Amino acid sequence: MTPATLLLWLSTACILAGAFFFVAGTVGLMRLPDRLSRLHALTKADNVGLGLLILGLLLEAPGVLNGLKLVLVWLFVLVASATGAHLIAKRALRGDGEDAH
Amino acid sequence: MTRSKSTFGAILLRLLLFACAWLVIAGTDPGSWIIGAPAVIAATWASLRLSRRDGGSPRLLAALVFVPFFLWQSLKGGLDVTWRVMRPRMRIAPGIHTYRLRLTNASARVVLLDTLSLLPGTLSADLRGDVLTVHALDAADGAQLDADIAQLEQRIGTLFGERLAAPTSEADPERADVLSCRDAKVAQT
Repeated sequence: MTPATLLLWLSTACILAGAFFFVAGTVGLMRLPDRLSRLHALTKADNVGLGLLILGLLLEAPGVLNGLKLVLVWLFVLVASATGAHLIAKRALRGDGEDAH
Repeated sequence: MTRSKSTFGAILLRLLLFACAWLVIAGTDPGSWIIGAPAVIAATWASLRLSRRDGGSPRLLAALVFVPFFLWQSLKGGLDVTWRVMRPRMRIAPGIHTYRLRLTNASARVVLLDTLSLLPGTLSADLRGDVLTVHALDAADGAQLDADIAQLEQRIGTLFGERLAAPTSEADPERADVLSCRDAKVAQT
């Protein structure tokens, strides 16, 4: 097996594993009983799912700039999802959001 | 006068940083700056408006230790939640848990809130004063949760070079109140 094919297999495995975590996050979103619990599934499973997806794509990235772009995308999504989850949880808990009724 | 000087440096640093981020995202096509330049200026403005004076930034060496820890823990967090929801009978006992923060640095607190949400089983739900409300997928063992959060708090304290006060035990609420009053006074001045 040449290094190129090995890389391709590794990259495919990472992307498939990432897709699995996205599925798990969605299953959690549908199965978990309340709003706050659902946020757990979305933030954590999707973070790992996207991380693995990005890792898989990094192995095939055509250049340093493209690799940096992928990492940056992951970081931005990470910060946005963690912060978004906190804001949703806070509103839900305080019960003063727009959908408080 | 020192304040306006440091602000100028801060503006320049942010402009540079956001311009680099734009370059990485949009590539080297000069036409992209039609959107990029206003976006970079808007991001700089927002960043300056939102940043707090008492923020402080993480130490580089401590960050090198923190990043692998964070990656490993977030992988565990993803596996944990996947394991819980994929079983035929879900293993959850969701509940609310409160924790008194010892970290005082504003930036460190933001990092703690965001990191805690990505760690196994915990979601930072609210922060009022020093009291952090955590939602846990398995809130049965409060002592374990306290220990986990305290450990993360310690790590983030190290990251920002902040020494934490001795842990305040649940059995001694008066002491905790005294501490928070002192912190509130410090924050006011």
